[in-house]
Amino acid sequence: MMQALASHSRRGLVIQAILLIVIAIFCVFPFYWMVTTSLKTQVVALESPPVWLFEPTFSNYTEVLLKDGVGRTLINSLIVAVSTTLLAVLLGLPAAFALARFEFRGKKDLWFWFITNRMVSPIVLALPFFLIVRKMGLMDTHIVLILIYLTFNLPIVIWICTDQFRSIPFDLDEAAMLDGASQWRIFRSICLPLAMPGVAVSSIFSFIFSWNELMFALILTRSNAKTAPAMAVSFMEGYILPYGKIMATSTLIVIPVIIFALIASKQLVRGLTMGAVK
Amino acid sequence: MRGKVRRKTIFTFLGPAIFALAAVGIGPLLYAVWTSLHYFNLTKLRQVEFIGMENYGTVLTDSVFWQAMGRTFTLLLIALPLQIMIGLGIALLLHKPGNTFLRTLTRLTLVLPMATTYAVVGLLGQVMFNIKYGVVNQFLGFVGIEAVNWIGDPDNAFIAVIFWDVWQWTPFVALVMLAGFTTIPVEIEEAARLETKSWWTVLRHVQLPFLIPGLTAVLILRTADTLKLFDMVFTMTRGGPGSATEFISLMIQRVGFRGFDQGMASAQAVILLIITIVLSQIYIKVFYKEIK
Amino acid sequence: MNLRSCISTIAIAACAAVGFTASANAWSLEEAAKPYAGTVVDVVFLKRPGYEAAEAMIPEFEKKTGIKINIIKHPYENALGEQVRDFVAGGDLDIALIDLVWIGNFAENGWVEPVSKFTSNPALKDPDLDMDDFFPLVLNAFGGWNGTIYGLPFDNYSGLMFYNKCMLKDAGFDGPPATWAELKDKYGPALTKDGKYAFALQSKRNETQSADSFARMLWPFGGSFLDKNFKSNLLSKESQTGLQFRQDLMKYMPKGIVAYDHSETVNALAQGDVAMITEWSAFYSTLKDPKTSKIGDCLAIAPEPKGPAGRKPALGGFSLAVATQADDNEKAASWLFIQWITSKAKAKEYVERGGVSARKSVYKDADIVKKYDFVPALVESWQEGVPEFRPRFAEWPEITEIVQEWGSKIMLGEVSVKDGAKELGDRMEAVLKKAGYYDGKKPLAK
Repeated sequence: MMQALASHSRRGLVIQAILLIVIAIFCVFPFYWMVTTSLKTQVVALESPPVWLFEPTFSNYTEVLLKDGVGRTLINSLIVAVSTTLLAVLLGLPAAFALARFEFRGKKDLWFWFITNRMVSPIVLALPFFLIVRKMGLMDTHIVLILIYLTFNLPIVIWICTDQFRSIPFDLDEAAMLDGASQWRIFRSICLPLAMPGVAVSSIFSFIFSWNELMFALILTRSNAKTAPAMAVSFMEGYILPYGKIMATSTLIVIPVIIFALIASKQLVRGLTMGAVK
Repeated sequence: MRGKVRRKTIFTFLGPAIFALAAVGIGPLLYAVWTSLHYFNLTKLRQVEFIGMENYGTVLTDSVFWQAMGRTFTLLLIALPLQIMIGLGIALLLHKPGNTFLRTLTRLTLVLPMATTYAVVGLLGQVMFNIKYGVVNQFLGFVGIEAVNWIGDPDNAFIAVIFWDVWQWTPFVALVMLAGFTTIPVEIEEAARLETKSWWTVLRHVQLPFLIPGLTAVLILRTADTLKLFDMVFTMTRGGPGSATEFISLMIQRVGFRGFDQGMASAQAVILLIITIVLSQIYIKVFYKEIK
Repeated sequence: MNLRSCISTIAIAACAAVGFTASANAWSLEEAAKPYAGTVVDVVFLKRPGYEAAEAMIPEFEKKTGIKINIIKHPYENALGEQVRDFVAGGDLDIALIDLVWIGNFAENGWVEPVSKFTSNPALKDPDLDMDDFFPLVLNAFGGWNGTIYGLPFDNYSGLMFYNKCMLKDAGFDGPPATWAELKDKYGPALTKDGKYAFALQSKRNETQSADSFARMLWPFGGSFLDKNFKSNLLSKESQTGLQFRQDLMKYMPKGIVAYDHSETVNALAQGDVAMITEWSAFYSTLKDPKTSKIGDCLAIAPEPKGPAGRKPALGGFSLAVATQADDNEKAASWLFIQWITSKAKAKEYVERGGVSARKSVYKDADIVKKYDFVPALVESWQEGVPEFRPRFAEWPEITEIVQEWGSKIMLGEVSVKDGAKELGDRMEAVLKKAGYYDGKKPLAK
């Protein structure tokens, strides 16, 4: 089959087209099913075998938004994801610049330490963080999530942006240095504008990861700062499984982030090559 | 003079990030180490008591802990090769000229699974793999396969987890591989094509070296993410049936927040952290050397 | 429509009755609540019928008292974790929602106030409180710990047998099985055919596995979790018989029963896929409602079958108790709410809205008895029953995790009944040892 693909024959093109379509459908189908299920009443959702044609209803949406307060959790998610992304960029950019530009002892280890944080399972931090937050009386606040999300956002920003800064030619800095510019000036006026693609990519990643996070949100929030994924999970009561409502909430969570990802898809792929492909 | 900067300047650049990450990353960790040396049960905070390494002893000899660990690596060893093989296939397909519109479209759809909230993937799993109301069994019915008990059977539930892991992360691998392909100079590729007709030879001898950095990143990130895996399984099977899908992070969460034994859970978390660090060290040392 | 207007008429009648007694006793909710108007009371509710019933009633309470009830909803599986974290963090919950197996924990940690703190205050105590009107078993098990009452029973369950009498009739049975043995040996083979199953026992690996599945098969056969020295009793002949029985009974249950939670089980009966289930009384409204159930008039209800050791139906349920972390105003307001929602006067409305009251008097009401065919079975179940159906001490959260894990493994055949029970017992004893029960540091709780 691969042999056929390699040749530029007409048959090769047809096979390629079919495979591409299959892949696309495979990627998209779960979303289709999520959205259609969200438009089913409980009775229709529990038809066996599942029905494909039915009269759609928006009652699940009105119910989760008006009665269950999913709207507020979406706003919480937005507040947390945006703030933590901004903070990560603000803290991470100068650090990335230093790692890319300066020579100092222990630089490699420092870089490694930053990156390792990306690998650490959140459960390792969730337990002690909870205990500390409890002592400080900060349970169920946005700030706690904003801070703890730095543990995975800061490494992303540093990882991607260090690479980005490295790719900027040194000559520019040297010329500026001869003119007597300080490192901060070089960072702000010369390198930062050129590093904007990296900043954009790492922000997008930070935002998506923060928006999607569940475990910390589950443990560190209760009601006021509860995020949307934590809310979706809370519908899973063993008594009745309201499939329509769960899928409606899921749709509300996922749609913004996939639209965002689609718009930024070019940068995302670039980000993979920058941060991931070191 | 390149790169030589005053200490103070270096510190002003790096300080805030180091301080922030230390505060949220290292501080809690030290606290976890402290907790792990105590009998520390959330529902019995009056009885907190120093017990030395007892928790570690219990964890290291606990079959349940090691089974969860084994399960986690089993998942990695099954899912990762699948993701790499399928991902490589997709990347080849996308790299091959022709069908430009379809290629762009497919590349766009590949972004979707990766961006999807992991918890939602698990919820979708519950809906689509339900033995009775699930669309997966309906599809199987079309080709004459009897309804499969996905969530309720230990092996099948594990397969369902693999399925979703592959669904969500194969596109990631494919896109990374594709990015690797685009770094190959066109002339080299074409010269190779003139010499041999075998796509395998081209892949093995010409293209593969360009893919190694991407593959390394995939290996590191997928290993880390499998050790972290929680959301999707939590929402789909909650580790069940039995303990069939109780991976390491789920297990620690259960001990710490359902059994409330934070001391024990902290000990487990510390051991998991050590394993994570050792693995990343090995990966980075072994693979990044090769690149140079 | 008709039903609704009927309910509201009854509600008005009930209010009038309250108003009458109140004036007679010179105590009224409105008067008592005056100092606390504007107080906000935070409470955790579950997403279950009894809570929906209460939610529908709350506006009346808020209107009368000016106290605001702020409900935070959680699924059962998260409710304990959420509350424990709130209480250890000194959070803002004013009322604790306590499952009977959590009471030891809440009481020993001092998270909840004894009822006597409020009943001794004439300004707060409704003269009509009448504690003796609660089923004693229920009051003591759900709300009591070491002889002190902390909570008033709010959302109350007994295990009942719900069955499809049409399916039973078609198979030649006039009534439900009287014993578990009969269920397995006679009803099982006769009703398991054509893709239908005789019985479904919810056994998902969470509290359902320990409460609904494991414990349910232990007690009727004379088994128990612990002996009187708090050592594992799971290897006793009786316990083993019960657990082996569960294993044998699985032949007559749908496949994948280890993934069945309440919703799947109730739905299986509602859809006509199984003939019998043993479920909590609270599911009556779900099964009766044509919107959620197809079973219709074929639904019938009986007490759970008997075992060699008698009838030991599953017992479960929640009480509401005032949290110690609340301030004085919140405490008073919380108490007034708890007292009101569990009161004799509101019991009828609560039942009619889909809740299950623990008040004896309401089940003597002619309307209720006539309309709700679960009443006789429920009342009978609450006459006898094992309060220690699941041990209620503070270690239960840890122990239930062990039971869930190994109970599921046994059902799946990953370990034999004997080996699984041994492992389970060893792990359970390790927890109890750590808690200090064996070296005399802690008295053996009753």
